[in-house]
Amino acid sequence: MNLLFEIITPEKVIYKDEVNEITAPTVTGEITILPNHVNLLTQITPGELIVKKGNNLQHLAVTGGFLEIQNNKVSVLAEYAIKAQDIEVARATEAKKRAEKVMSEKSTDNELRVAQAEMIKAILELKIATKHKKRAV
Amino acid sequence: MANLLLLKRRIKAAGNVSKTTKAMQMIAVSKLKKAQDATFAGRPYVEKLSSISQNVLGKLNNESLHVYMKKNDSKNNLVIILAPDKGLCGGLITNLIRRIVSFNNENKNNLYLTVGKKVESTITNLGAELIASFKFGSTLPSFNMVLPIAQIIDEYFLSRKVGTVKIISTNFTSIFSQKPVITDLLPIDLSQIESSSFSLFEPLADELLPPLLRHYLEMTIYQHLLESYASEQGAKMVAMQNATDNALEIVQDLQLEYNKGRQEKITNEILDIGSAAFTFAYE
Repeated sequence: MNLLFEIITPEKVIYKDEVNEITAPTVTGEITILPNHVNLLTQITPGELIVKKGNNLQHLAVTGGFLEIQNNKVSVLAEYAIKAQDIEVARATEAKKRAEKVMSEKSTDNELRVAQAEMIKAILELKIATKHKKRAV
Repeated sequence: MANLLLLKRRIKAAGNVSKTTKAMQMIAVSKLKKAQDATFAGRPYVEKLSSISQNVLGKLNNESLHVYMKKNDSKNNLVIILAPDKGLCGGLITNLIRRIVSFNNENKNNLYLTVGKKVESTITNLGAELIASFKFGSTLPSFNMVLPIAQIIDEYFLSRKVGTVKIISTNFTSIFSQKPVITDLLPIDLSQIESSSFSLFEPLADELLPPLLRHYLEMTIYQHLLESYASEQGAKMVAMQNATDNALEIVQDLQLEYNKGRQEKITNEILDIGSAAFTFAYE
């Protein structure tokens, strides 16, 4: 018995496959989902999402969103998600610097909100990228 | 002679027009590709989000209704109109404006919020109240455009200044067909909701609902922006293609006329020379 798993973002469907196990960060703490999990709806927080298929582990960075489980079909709706191996460290560093600059200057509420979201995204990407690199070495 | 020069000038002018419209067509083609991808990519997300939202709503009893679902007795409508900034996209804007006018005649007490310069003047001409207007821009709409719109919706709907919120936009069905549609945004309709299939919520459904519905609202608006943008580029591409074809046709017609005139001139000159030679030969 497997789980049908998909991550959908407004830009595209990032991941869609049959998997054995999913670990996701939620507002009430990290949860791991195994097949035949009870139907659940929960909110996820920015963090690392780990998908296990056979002996393969796939790490992904996700920003906030929602996760639903319905009869062994798991869908994650995330504002933004990226596979660990696709993260571009240089770009993330750059984005972080840019967000820092906007936040240090006098900006409107709207700009601040955008910068903050960018910041969370960049920090998360960097964290997961570095963690992953160490593991690969 | 003067006539021929005039023709030559007109051929050049039509040729230039065809070059310009061809360039605009190419721009629209490349933008359309991006817009189409974004629109189609966004659809599964919004569909999933709406199915989750409906599922949660089914779980709630009437007392814990969220503010977005509560009807209020204000008779005003807040109407959000999404339209292009610029023209040159065939019947798109005309169809949209026709829809707006007929809507305005059917419903009283409308407050308008427009995105796109082209419909701004329409609203003022209708004598309706325009509470805010934004630019649509000529690139793929970014998600940041949604935030100020959502803020205004919140301000008006939550303070009960308006009873309903609607969106008038164009739906992108294909490159050749874009239809103006009116969508009800708020209050969220409860009649179509089936019973919930979730047995567990973390955190509780009541806590989960506000961020979910807020996100649902924002994403729905964003998807409408994407659809409108794709429609604009699609319509522009077709309109510019037609314009290019027409310009080239004119060039061809004029060229034919010019050649005929030139031939006539040459024939006349030969006749002149011939008759002159004829006269000399008999002297």
